[in-house]
Amino acid sequence: MYKGMNRRDFLKVIGSGTAVISMPGALSGCMSRRTVLAGGPTGNGGYFDQFGLSPELIRKILSKGLSRGGDFSEVFAQNWVNHWVGMEDEQINRAYTNIDLGVGIRVLKGDATGYAYSEDLSEKALLAAADTAAAVADNPSDLQPKSFSPSTTPNRYHLEVPWLNVEIERKLPIIDRANQAVRARDASIIKVTVNLSDDTNRILVANSEGLWIEDDQPMGLLMVMCVASKNGKTEVGYQSRSSRDGIDFFTDEAIDEVACQAADYATMLFDAVEAPIGEMPVVLAPGVTGILLHEAMGHGFEADFNRKGTSIYADRIGERIAPEFVTVLDDGTNLRLRGSLNIDDEGTIAKRTVLVENGILRSYMHDRISARHYQTESTGSGRRQSFRFPPVPRMRNTYMLNGPHKPEEIIRSVKKGLYAEVFSNGQVDIGAGDFTFFLKHGRLIENGKLTAVVKDANLIGSGPKVLENIHMVADDMEMFSGGGMCGKDGQAVPVGFGLPTTKVGAISIGGRSS
Amino acid sequence: MTKDLIKQAENIVRQAEKLGAQGVHAMIHRSRESTLEWRDGKLDRLRESTSMGLTVSLHVDGRYSSNSTSDLRPPAVERFLEETVAMTKVLAEDPHRVLPHPSRYENRYQGDMKIFDPSAPVGLDPDQRKTLVKSIEEAARSSQHADKIISVTCECSDSDSESALVVSNGMQGTSRSTHFVIGAQTSVKDKGDRKPEGYSYAVTHMKDRLPSADVIGSDATRRALSDMGAKPIKSGRYACIIENRLIRRILGGLFYPLSGGMIQQKRSFMADKLGKQVTSPLLSIIDDPHQPEGLGSRTFDDEGMSTQKMPILENGVLKNFYLNTYYASKLEMEPTTGSESNLSFAAGNRNLEKLLQKMDTGILVTGFSGGNSNSATGDFSIGISGQWVENGRIKHPVSEMNLAGNHLAFWNQVVELGNDIYPYSSWLTPSIRLENVQFSGK
Repeated sequence: MYKGMNRRDFLKVIGSGTAVISMPGALSGCMSRRTVLAGGPTGNGGYFDQFGLSPELIRKILSKGLSRGGDFSEVFAQNWVNHWVGMEDEQINRAYTNIDLGVGIRVLKGDATGYAYSEDLSEKALLAAADTAAAVADNPSDLQPKSFSPSTTPNRYHLEVPWLNVEIERKLPIIDRANQAVRARDASIIKVTVNLSDDTNRILVANSEGLWIEDDQPMGLLMVMCVASKNGKTEVGYQSRSSRDGIDFFTDEAIDEVACQAADYATMLFDAVEAPIGEMPVVLAPGVTGILLHEAMGHGFEADFNRKGTSIYADRIGERIAPEFVTVLDDGTNLRLRGSLNIDDEGTIAKRTVLVENGILRSYMHDRISARHYQTESTGSGRRQSFRFPPVPRMRNTYMLNGPHKPEEIIRSVKKGLYAEVFSNGQVDIGAGDFTFFLKHGRLIENGKLTAVVKDANLIGSGPKVLENIHMVADDMEMFSGGGMCGKDGQAVPVGFGLPTTKVGAISIGGRSS
Repeated sequence: MTKDLIKQAENIVRQAEKLGAQGVHAMIHRSRESTLEWRDGKLDRLRESTSMGLTVSLHVDGRYSSNSTSDLRPPAVERFLEETVAMTKVLAEDPHRVLPHPSRYENRYQGDMKIFDPSAPVGLDPDQRKTLVKSIEEAARSSQHADKIISVTCECSDSDSESALVVSNGMQGTSRSTHFVIGAQTSVKDKGDRKPEGYSYAVTHMKDRLPSADVIGSDATRRALSDMGAKPIKSGRYACIIENRLIRRILGGLFYPLSGGMIQQKRSFMADKLGKQVTSPLLSIIDDPHQPEGLGSRTFDDEGMSTQKMPILENGVLKNFYLNTYYASKLEMEPTTGSESNLSFAAGNRNLEKLLQKMDTGILVTGFSGGNSNSATGDFSIGISGQWVENGRIKHPVSEMNLAGNHLAFWNQVVELGNDIYPYSSWLTPSIRLENVQFSGK
């Protein structure tokens, strides 16, 4: 229940089997032939009218929020439907549904936040919640909300066929195909688990400054996990594929690719040797290794930690923190990526934020509170897990642009080191700057060549030191195409990340061999 | 109070049965929570909620689904049940998916577990709460190195949660508990840009069992200060002590593979270990669901089965798996319970200070970062921070290091358990001293 005050933020790849299993929503999913309590048009068509959330009522709530002297009030309404269908032991014999409906009310007084939420959407319950949130301030006030001026935004993830119109019968062949593809890949596969999850997340943000904006945020996620056994050795492999897209995203080709990768990730481990111990150069393969950016710098650039002065990157805007060829973005505007947003959870239109430009720290990631503190504009980074939480600055899709080197040239340059291919999770201490990421598998580099497979080692380094020590960056940037979840402040949100082949001077590797 | 929830859950069961479900498991929960966060002398965040939700698992014609909703308007619930029942019928039959045998609902524990505090209504008295967080901050700042402090965040939180469970083959149960939390996090200025943080918190069911504001505030600052100047040392095999509050994180790698799902799906390195010596004989751990004030205490489990004490490790010998009805059926075993309640340890005789003296030279691990454990092989690797110890005394902080091993070897390297049981978790863990542990650093 209690998340603890430990501000070490973590990231995990779905399926990675860390001790804490977190899935979007409450691991739920099921099935709606028709629409389960969600329908109506997309955009600003007053989707939440059907729940009684009329502009008149919302105005009353906002007004109540300001009644004790707050200088800003906001209503965040959400109707989030998650469906999840799963196969185990060759039978599609389980399904889960989760429906979330509720309203979060936020009142700001300077930097301070009053927050209350309610699943009961009656006027009485909502006004009581607004009164509770209002208590962040304690002076009578007659400040009134401005009249609403509805806004719209380009849609980066419009679906021709919304998930709620997809019958369960259409989902089953995807799961069947993935299962068969894994089993056909190698005779050593003994167990396969396949899950297909889809989200339809409708949100409305209205505030006392007159903002009224809605969004319809879809997500599809296919997860494949398998167990392979040979000569007394057992290994687990998994892979996922996720996008803010509909069912047509899961083409035969995409399903087969995910399935075969999951199988290969298990079977390749039979020949693995122990990972090395201690510091050595690490070459990061493109893709999922983008976890490096997320942990080594991303969280440290979130403006809440900097506003409080607790980030290791506080007060370093304009300074060089990495070599010339390093440019890093956090971007909500990519088409259909997992971390893409039309609007953030404060209603700010999504943006593309240059965090590091040619090695110089250019911008933090801001929400409303930190933007006001720094007297700048929000970068559209205010995100929350659901209406049950106030928003905080978060990453979206975080990636590094291509550099001047070639992947082969980078590997050739290492005499003795580690080629890190697949990571499952990572974590960072924002203040001390120490970050970790867990290597699911990689290879040794010996005399410029990739050799034996290694697995299951934690890598640890200091974020700022690792950034300074990025020696080479290749021209093969790749986004991770699977499902990543980022945890912070007790809240999990979906994120994307990517990296070209990158060489880092030295990171400490926690292997078992001596 | 909670009686009205039982009525609602009964209605849900009846409705679902009418729609064609033969087995129904309905849980309704309601909670009130109130949190105050205080940062550097002023209010930072105030959070209040009254929350409610329904989870209903359906057994329809031998098929299964589990569904939850926070939209409890009666027509919405009606439609939710109609649609989820209809859709369950599309799935494959699963003969293992049955409700618990009714005999498993019998002999429910009747004692008072002291998990509900009637004397402390949640969310009342904001002034008293402000006074509390202020005094935590004051304690955090009363250090003689207060000039190093960049920021102090304090928190206090109260909650009152109740739930009712009705299972269609003869189970009804309710549960109500309160939680009280206080916490502090201190951030200090180190050399360069480094800003180590220390945190301390406590969570209890009974309000008067919370430690004082002084203890929490000064502990957070002490921890932040003690991390100043931390750096890695040479890789090697060292003796170590893992602090009580961290044990759960690393022991989880040994415990999660004890669940039926992991075993049946061949992802558990513990699958063939029942009745065998798996750890040092110093480890005796009991799953103890009725522990007074235990944060995992419960009279029935998620499925509604009555809970009972269950040994997990007895002098290092594995005695039980965590088996819910479903995976027990697949494994052709008797169900135990699907998840842990409180884990109670046979503690040692000495406190942390004495353990340090006994260790003489080695690493006191006070923080973990990242890491993971391979459930199929037992190999794990995890980032650590802590203190280098010589002659039983703390010399200097260490960080940016990893600890790695295999659970089957690692827990055999345990040489002593402390008497310092950590009370703010359902895993009541002591500090543990081990020998010859692999650390990687420089």
